[in-house]
Amino acid sequence: MPESTADRLRRLLAILAWLAQVGEATIDATAERFDLTPATLVTELEMAACCGVPPYTPDQLMEIVVTDSTVSVRVGTSLARPRRLSPSEGFALATAARTLLAVPGSDESGALSRALAKLDRALGGQEVEVELDAPALLPLVREALTERHPLRITYYSASTDRETERQIAPLRLFASEGHWYVDAWCQTAGDLRRFRVDRINAAEALEGELPPEAVLPGGSVGGPVDGATGDQAVDPAVDGSVTGTFDPFVPGPDSRRVRLSLDPATAWLVESLPATGPATEVEGRTEVELFVGGDAWLERLLLRLGPDARVVGPPEFRDLAADAAGRVLRRYSGGDI
Amino acid sequence: MERLDRLERVTDLLLVLLDTPRPLSLRDIAYRVPGYPESHVARRQAFERDKRLLRDEGVPVLTERIDGEEQLGYRVDPDAYYLPDLGLEAEEQAALNLAVAGVHLGEPIGRQALLKLGAGGESPLRDAPVPLVDLPTFGFGGLPALPSLFDAVRQAAVVGFDYRDEPRRVDVAGLRFRHGYWYLVGFDRDREEARTFRVDRIDGLPTLGPAGSGRVSEQFDIDEAFSRDPWQFGTGEAVEVDVRVDGAEAGRVVAELGEESVVSRSDDGAVVVRLSVTDVGALVLWVLDLLDHAEVVAPAEVRAAVVDRLEASLASAGSGD
Repeated sequence: MPESTADRLRRLLAILAWLAQVGEATIDATAERFDLTPATLVTELEMAACCGVPPYTPDQLMEIVVTDSTVSVRVGTSLARPRRLSPSEGFALATAARTLLAVPGSDESGALSRALAKLDRALGGQEVEVELDAPALLPLVREALTERHPLRITYYSASTDRETERQIAPLRLFASEGHWYVDAWCQTAGDLRRFRVDRINAAEALEGELPPEAVLPGGSVGGPVDGATGDQAVDPAVDGSVTGTFDPFVPGPDSRRVRLSLDPATAWLVESLPATGPATEVEGRTEVELFVGGDAWLERLLLRLGPDARVVGPPEFRDLAADAAGRVLRRYSGGDI
Repeated sequence: MERLDRLERVTDLLLVLLDTPRPLSLRDIAYRVPGYPESHVARRQAFERDKRLLRDEGVPVLTERIDGEEQLGYRVDPDAYYLPDLGLEAEEQAALNLAVAGVHLGEPIGRQALLKLGAGGESPLRDAPVPLVDLPTFGFGGLPALPSLFDAVRQAAVVGFDYRDEPRRVDVAGLRFRHGYWYLVGFDRDREEARTFRVDRIDGLPTLGPAGSGRVSEQFDIDEAFSRDPWQFGTGEAVEVDVRVDGAEAGRVVAELGEESVVSRSDDGAVVVRLSVTDVGALVLWVLDLLDHAEVVAPAEVRAAVVDRLEASLASAGSGD
């Protein structure tokens, strides 16, 4: 077995800590819990049962009992007591608890708040706070998800700058990069779509069941997150196709592209945007090719980048910034406030 | 019988070091822990490897000076090794399991913590019926500075780090997560005022002073000090800016800024929000991101800043290239 001794030690200590809490468990259940074969579990525990401190009096031996079908550990066994958490572990645990507490309605019994209070007392993390956005319609979307009924929504798409009415069947709710998203079967589009909850401007619960097509690829729980952060103000298309990850924007093979020329000082603004490749330096300026999340998305980006940013191509995007600037300026020219 | 399994030797070593009230020399250890080689050099090498493994696993192996020919002794301080009893009820433990399952921290570090608490393996965490939240913290693409900063908060230790190419020394008051970003709030010693730092813009790993070296004063109000939005990161007098937002974006903007920022609402769904601004440039960027769904209503000079910026964009586009 190519496992390292460190991995085995960590796992052994975890098994002992768990067994000390439950007292006794079947070999099969324990093996499954820790993702081991029953034979490997028994070998590891029998090895640990031989460990101890000379002169090996009973109180110094690890009290591990392995029978034909069960295993047990005495609570007082020194390696079965919980180990101190590393700063990262303590932070991760307390942060997970804080985050879930920031989701309205997640701790109706109060158990999580009590657990966090105990963690904080031991670790000292009171001065850490997690704020999550709480869009007004989040509870309604969440209820539709739990009760498995469809919704009619009015949705403002930032990438197309248009409001549409849609009928959706919510399938998964998640928060990423500070925003709540709902993955849903969109009856109107006849496909899976991802919506930002704070862009749902109106919603109404509908009677009836979810259509049979309303299934997420790969089960109900989301895949791993790569931890990348986007620029919060520049917001790529979010009603794009749904994938297994939490990435708000996933460029498809036929996504449009735009080539920009930027002052190197402002290039960081586009660093976290979906690019086709690394930025290059051309005559003292930074050039980068980006996937375009929608015309309105590119307009926002260009207005934010300002007069210094230039569209290299394709030509269809050359006038976009001027058009957008003109449109916004018209709001300021009336003097009718 | 030949001892081949290093895990057994390491487990014995851990038990012996935890058990001893006084530091043990390597010779004492080899006498108590079966499986170390006879030869002096090989024994030392094997022990050093085991010691490193334990330390890498977070076991606080202490090295202390002792009398006698070997001079160095080793032990594990039980108080530093064991978690103080948290007294978690079963229901509370289950709630923590669910939280770790629902919150993605970028690395399975929360699960490792649960394992240490005796929460078992993966099984209780599968198919958790909770909303999923993705929080950037550790690991690839994450925030390596965050655990050290948390430690600094915990220990009230002064931290040093580079930020915007300048070294900073900060007494830390706390950490905040908001709109997808982590922030450090504290007292900047060199600038002698409260400051908020975005953790993802801290260069490299922070250095920590001793515990208690970076305590903020009793009067420090972290909620007051926390610059919540990009337009609050400037210095100097704050200006009150009113922004009108159309119905299409009003819901999102109010959710982002809070109901208390709304000064008026119209029948068509539009709202006027009032913001306290110290960085006008950052506010202009935020307003432009709303395209023609928003406009600065007052004051006139901020309105002019938006117009100037837009006219510059128009002029530059018109000049061609």
